[in-house]
Amino acid sequence: MSLLERAQNIDRRWVYLLVWLFVLFPLLNPLGLPIPIGRDSTAWKEYIDAIPNDSVIMVSMDYGVSGMPELYPMTVASMKHLWSMTDAKNLKIVVIAFWNQGPLVFDTLLSQVDPEADYGMVYGEDWIELGWIPGGETGMAAFANDIWAQKPNDYLYSRPLDEYPIMENIRVAEDVDLVVSFETGTPGLPEWLRQWNDPYGVPFIVGCIGVSVPGMAPYLSSGQLSALMPGLTASAEYEVLLNRPGLAVAGVDAVSMSHLLVFILVVVGNIAFFATGGSRRS
Amino acid sequence: MSDTLRRIEIPIIITAICTLIQVIPYYIEIEVLDNTAATLQQWVLLIVSMATFIGVISIGMVHGKRVQRQSEGWYFSGILLIVMVVMALTGLPLESMGLGTKNPVYDFLFTNVQTPLGGTMYSILAFFIASAAYRAFRARNIEASIVLIAGIFMVMSNAPIFTSMFEGFKGIGNWIFDVPNASTMRAVTIGAALGAIALAVRTLMGIERGYLRGGGED
Repeated sequence: MSLLERAQNIDRRWVYLLVWLFVLFPLLNPLGLPIPIGRDSTAWKEYIDAIPNDSVIMVSMDYGVSGMPELYPMTVASMKHLWSMTDAKNLKIVVIAFWNQGPLVFDTLLSQVDPEADYGMVYGEDWIELGWIPGGETGMAAFANDIWAQKPNDYLYSRPLDEYPIMENIRVAEDVDLVVSFETGTPGLPEWLRQWNDPYGVPFIVGCIGVSVPGMAPYLSSGQLSALMPGLTASAEYEVLLNRPGLAVAGVDAVSMSHLLVFILVVVGNIAFFATGGSRRS
Repeated sequence: MSDTLRRIEIPIIITAICTLIQVIPYYIEIEVLDNTAATLQQWVLLIVSMATFIGVISIGMVHGKRVQRQSEGWYFSGILLIVMVVMALTGLPLESMGLGTKNPVYDFLFTNVQTPLGGTMYSILAFFIASAAYRAFRARNIEASIVLIAGIFMVMSNAPIFTSMFEGFKGIGNWIFDVPNASTMRAVTIGAALGAIALAVRTLMGIERGYLRGGGED
């Protein structure tokens, strides 16, 4: 078998090894490539910056540990962004989850970011965490109808909601001004759309993993989805925009290298295909 | 009497009533129906919560048998059962007894076992996608060439190593996302929605019986 024929059919184990090497190299030796800013990260930042004063924001952790590599950096960056403007705008932030591992992921965030020490947030006044709401889409519908009935206690201290001043005027979906959902699947955007956006008119913005991005396009162009944070590259751009380089900036070199490898493999495969007369055979 | 209770029409009628109670309040505001729908939602949540135990029992039975018979890879099943029991017990919401998600054993297992394993499972996609792209993106004919060109531009628009060399890649990627992708996804979404409506109507009318006793006609 000639070299050109081999180049058309590289054993997948060699491809796997190359992927591993291309991803590992920038993680061990960061390349520090420039990160051009795209429209999605800009729109996300501008949307959050433009949140009106006294808004109630519901942050939903709709992913588990498997989504952390891609979604956790944007969650951290967005929470820091929101907490940094909470005092000035008198925002109220309610953290929930429709995925059972969501609160545990948020625990990880709280072990790295201290809202009280870093941003002067008072738990129960400026923000609160209610934990996991079971039942998927049905849970979403029930939560929209009566927030207190679904979560009578908070997640962090298991105390009744009437002990927290922040919850006094947050009882149904109409009391919420914005939903920020970080999600990997179901329940996710279509369920938010059906149970919160359409019946109650609550606007929402979504941060999602790369493979979910194409499915978001119709909702973004129709205006039902107000802003989209599509994957790790956009998260890195967002961190640059906020001037707070973090996990996404650290990981985006690996994205670049893995994409470069795909590009090289596709080019090599096609050159070999044409050089051996594959196009005529086809 | 027992024959009457076993009639197939009974679950079909229950399904139809429950569905209509959920669907009608979505479009029309009737207080009685709204309240009934909310009550039904609570019932669903209770059933979902109970289903968790079915999952635990099912996993216990499948892997318990594997350990008992010492069939191939039985030790993996053993590890699964041990970790499941340990996490279930230490994660019980009894904070006064030192249990719950803040329990050190639970926290250790979550942070050092479940989190890296979950991330690894997701990261495996990178290997498969790279291998699949190498094989699929080949200009064998016009259709494959279009996929190849669109795919390569999307790859380049999403990686700073390319966009830092030529920012125009982002614009090309945005156009592919906004125009061909959005229109295709819209068609897929509308098609799936029409299919879901048709399935719902068939279920409500009792034509679709796949969820009942394997679809028996009696």
